[in-house]
Amino acid sequence: MLPTGIHFESYAAETRVLKTRRSQVWLAILVAALLVAPFFAGAYLTGIASEMFITLMAVYGLYITVGMAGQINIAQSAFVGVGAFAAAKLSGYGVPVFLVIPLAAFCTGCVSVLFALPASRVKGLYLALTTLAAQAMFPIVIYALPPGWLGGLAGMPVEPLTVFGLDLGSPARLYYFTLAIVAVLTVSVFRIQHSRFGRAMIAVRDNDVAAEVMGIPVFKVKVMSFFVGSLFAGIAGACMAYVLQFVTASSFTLFASVWYLGMLIVGGLHSPLGAILGVLFITIVQESLHKVANTLMQLGAGGGGTLFALTSIILGGCILIALIFEPRGLAHRWAVLRKAFQIWPFPRS
Amino acid sequence: MSIEAVSNGRQTILEAEALCLRFGAVETLKSVSLSVMESEIHAVIGPNGAGKSSLLNCFSGFYRPQSGAVRFKGIDISDLPPHRRAELGMSRTFQGIQTYPSLTARENILTGFHMRMKTGPFSALIWWGATRREEELYTARAEKIIEFLELEEQRHTHVGDMSYGMRKRVDLGRAIALEPAILIMDEPMAGMSNEEKEDLARFILDIREGLGIPVVLVEHDMEVVMSISDRVTVLDFGQVIACGTPDEIRAHPAVIDAYLGDAA
Repeated sequence: MLPTGIHFESYAAETRVLKTRRSQVWLAILVAALLVAPFFAGAYLTGIASEMFITLMAVYGLYITVGMAGQINIAQSAFVGVGAFAAAKLSGYGVPVFLVIPLAAFCTGCVSVLFALPASRVKGLYLALTTLAAQAMFPIVIYALPPGWLGGLAGMPVEPLTVFGLDLGSPARLYYFTLAIVAVLTVSVFRIQHSRFGRAMIAVRDNDVAAEVMGIPVFKVKVMSFFVGSLFAGIAGACMAYVLQFVTASSFTLFASVWYLGMLIVGGLHSPLGAILGVLFITIVQESLHKVANTLMQLGAGGGGTLFALTSIILGGCILIALIFEPRGLAHRWAVLRKAFQIWPFPRS
Repeated sequence: MSIEAVSNGRQTILEAEALCLRFGAVETLKSVSLSVMESEIHAVIGPNGAGKSSLLNCFSGFYRPQSGAVRFKGIDISDLPPHRRAELGMSRTFQGIQTYPSLTARENILTGFHMRMKTGPFSALIWWGATRREEELYTARAEKIIEFLELEEQRHTHVGDMSYGMRKRVDLGRAIALEPAILIMDEPMAGMSNEEKEDLARFILDIREGLGIPVVLVEHDMEVVMSISDRVTVLDFGQVIACGTPDEIRAHPAVIDAYLGDAA
């Protein structure tokens, strides 16, 4: 809902995310805050933020595959892994970073298409199982290949990140690097729903039978949704490789895939804002729990270790609570609150 | 290209020839033949279970008849999947609600332009440039349909939040967006109020007059069928029992039998 007095002079302007001057100002403040944050936050928090940006890239990918096209994918972590290994291998050959990231993304997209092909025959739970196969096969394949190819059990080191001769090794520089990439992806992911491809994906999710009759090639759209979603996973993987400087198959687990999905569900499946809120919410809860547990341990008080162990259980509980009270996710709650605020003092409709 | 049937100087646009459709032992269609001319409103009526919806599903490609052929613009389309038929210019509305509830009315209509639009996923990710130009162009065209169907007030409403009658109107808008050579409608009047029926009947006539699109219509509401159709085909137990103008059908003894029973 818009305040009165807002007029559009083109159809494209109607699809803008930030329609009012006020929301543009808020965004400018947010961007400025993100830019100066590393000067005030310590190296630890800056590192957490970079990690969060990378997670967000992967969850954006899931938003496209699962949220928009409705194709359940529980192998996003394996796809992130494919991107990470591709980036490690390419950077080892001395390929510059601005080529490594698109190439790693493309490799990941191609791998995901292999596992998306069953989507022509199966849907829902059955498709989820075929993606589970991708997740299960990923470490097995890496370990089985000759160690000279992808490092085998030992993993692979990654060349330090340099852009035009500038070393980006420090946490603050990696923060700006991941921030820049996630900013570009954010713009893309907010725009995609206002395109032929975005609408086709939503049409397939809402009613694939009608979509087929109305001339939308359903199977092609499903496969492309996997491809595009995995491009994002591949970019996330490449960034992860550069940040961690080391890749090993054991970091890309089913557990992580489920978490990516959990973040998207808590945030809200049907808007990119949901991806942002979900990642932010889970990261904040997780880090706060770790912080409390750490403090307890340092004070010598009991329970610190237990709390560490309980982190996943508490986070799981958060997901349950979120789903019971707001099945449409935090993004929907945000939209409701915003509307209530705009029409105040009139009651909510 | 096969032989194009010509009658009264008008060409046949859609033709079913001796369609037979069986589900196990049940013969749903027994050698059904039917032809739809250019710019005509052709109604298919019949008692429940007569095979009307099965016939439409053979046209759309959901069902494959065991024998017989469906010809569209002179081309045999019997083996084509639904989206290929849509590419050739066949469009339809559905029984009940088959719109996309999480898209707005305008976006639902825009999905109808899918085959005409060109941009792909990569252009969508970049958006500015090709996709933006295309969006501007097709939104303007969607607005024409919105104006035609008087949906202006609800163009930004999510279809999931709309009333039944309005959703059916969006369904129709999406079908017109294909800019089809024929429009197939499966029980468009079912579940509508009298006022909504009048509006819809007017839209169907406008589609034929203004856009020149022939309409095939399965409908139960006799009043509507008899007042807007040019020709009516009557099915009973999977067979065509009569075909003609509404006046001829009204007086046809076999039709009276089928609807009122043998006693009549």
